[in-house]
Amino acid sequence: MEYRDLKDRIVLSTLPNIPFDGWSKKALRQGAAAEGLDRDAVERAFPGGPVEAVAHFADMANRLMEADMDDAETEGLRLHERVRLALLCRLERWSHEREAIRRGMALLSLPGNLGLSLKASYATVDSIWRAAGDTSVDFSFYTKRVELAGIYAATLLVWLDDTSDDIEITRAFLDRRLEGAMRLRKARAKVEEKIAALPNPLNLFSKRLDMAKSFRMR
Amino acid sequence: MPHETPQPPHQRPPRRPQDTRPRSEVPAHVPTDEEAARHATGKRTGQGHFAGNLSREELLKRIARVDQAGEYGAVRIYQGQLAVLGSKSANVGVLRHMLEQEEEHLATFDRELLKRRARPTLLTPIWHVAGFALGAGTALLGEKAAMACTTAVEETIDAHYQGQYEQLGDDDLPLKATIAKFREEELEHRDIGYANGAEDTPAFPLLSGAIKAGTKLAIWLSERV
Repeated sequence: MEYRDLKDRIVLSTLPNIPFDGWSKKALRQGAAAEGLDRDAVERAFPGGPVEAVAHFADMANRLMEADMDDAETEGLRLHERVRLALLCRLERWSHEREAIRRGMALLSLPGNLGLSLKASYATVDSIWRAAGDTSVDFSFYTKRVELAGIYAATLLVWLDDTSDDIEITRAFLDRRLEGAMRLRKARAKVEEKIAALPNPLNLFSKRLDMAKSFRMR
Repeated sequence: MPHETPQPPHQRPPRRPQDTRPRSEVPAHVPTDEEAARHATGKRTGQGHFAGNLSREELLKRIARVDQAGEYGAVRIYQGQLAVLGSKSANVGVLRHMLEQEEEHLATFDRELLKRRARPTLLTPIWHVAGFALGAGTALLGEKAAMACTTAVEETIDAHYQGQYEQLGDDDLPLKATIAKFREEELEHRDIGYANGAEDTPAFPLLSGAIKAGTKLAIWLSERV
């Protein structure tokens, strides 16, 4: 934890070099040197190599997004609108670092980095839901995160190639995905309503018991 | 002649207005500083930490997770018992009282879970069904079996809370005080169970032992999964 600021500094000062050098140890060392840190700072901060720096970049982006959401006007917005805002906050800050993000995703998608990449995806969707003010503590905690993970991954890919003004294409794409998710939720609510209208089987059972008793009485 | 409407032979007592607020908004117990200070021991949470042990954050998340799951299960057990005994048992008042306390505990640990950014257990749907089934099943065996179920569960929970109480140090006094208070209430539930004839259940040791083993397994699973 005490290393967090140090790691933030290294990653931030390395980012401009990534499109040229990729996520390499050399690039990170140059970034650390530009920050005035000593030679071994990179090894101490990221003992697992550059892929840890990528994961830390994702973590930093989550923290900054949550800070942005704290400042944003979210009063009166509905839950899915807040999710939309949080997701766009997460992306828009890094509009100039798309190449670094693309290369980071390539590194995380290598089979050996599967565990780390799953952890990073979970942390991102978790952070978006918490920033949006979700307070679920039941199984929907997981279904929400899985649902958003799909939407986020797809939107991220669209955003990486989006050259439109004010990322219109990404916004439209995200809106369609969220609308689909909302439709699914509404359909589910309808089914649940019907299920709730069915009688409680235990009550049926106890009624039958009462009936049996009344037969015996006669 | 004034027309008299026939009165039903006996009227049900009016229903309590149901609390429709979401669980997260139900006000729950927050210990004062004074209450919390009573539990100080001069020790920190996770003191004497070894490599490979859980870190302090992980330990606290695990405590919040398992306790939330446990209180959720307890609420479901009492709901199951009330679904069967709800209309005809003399113990309805007692069961309602215990259910209300468990709901308050649940609301507290819901907030604890959110505060610590911990994930809930993945097994919530299982506890949703299993808790209700345990409550309804023992209630169908009779009122005394239902009380035997209460004593078995609450005794296990008592030992579990005691263990957590000893794990926590001075840096988590509010949580420690909350657990101490809830443990007292769980012990009260156990005493209610014994006072209502739990031990008169046929095969009490067998039933109680089986429920205790099941509860311990549920605790072990909810901590991890």
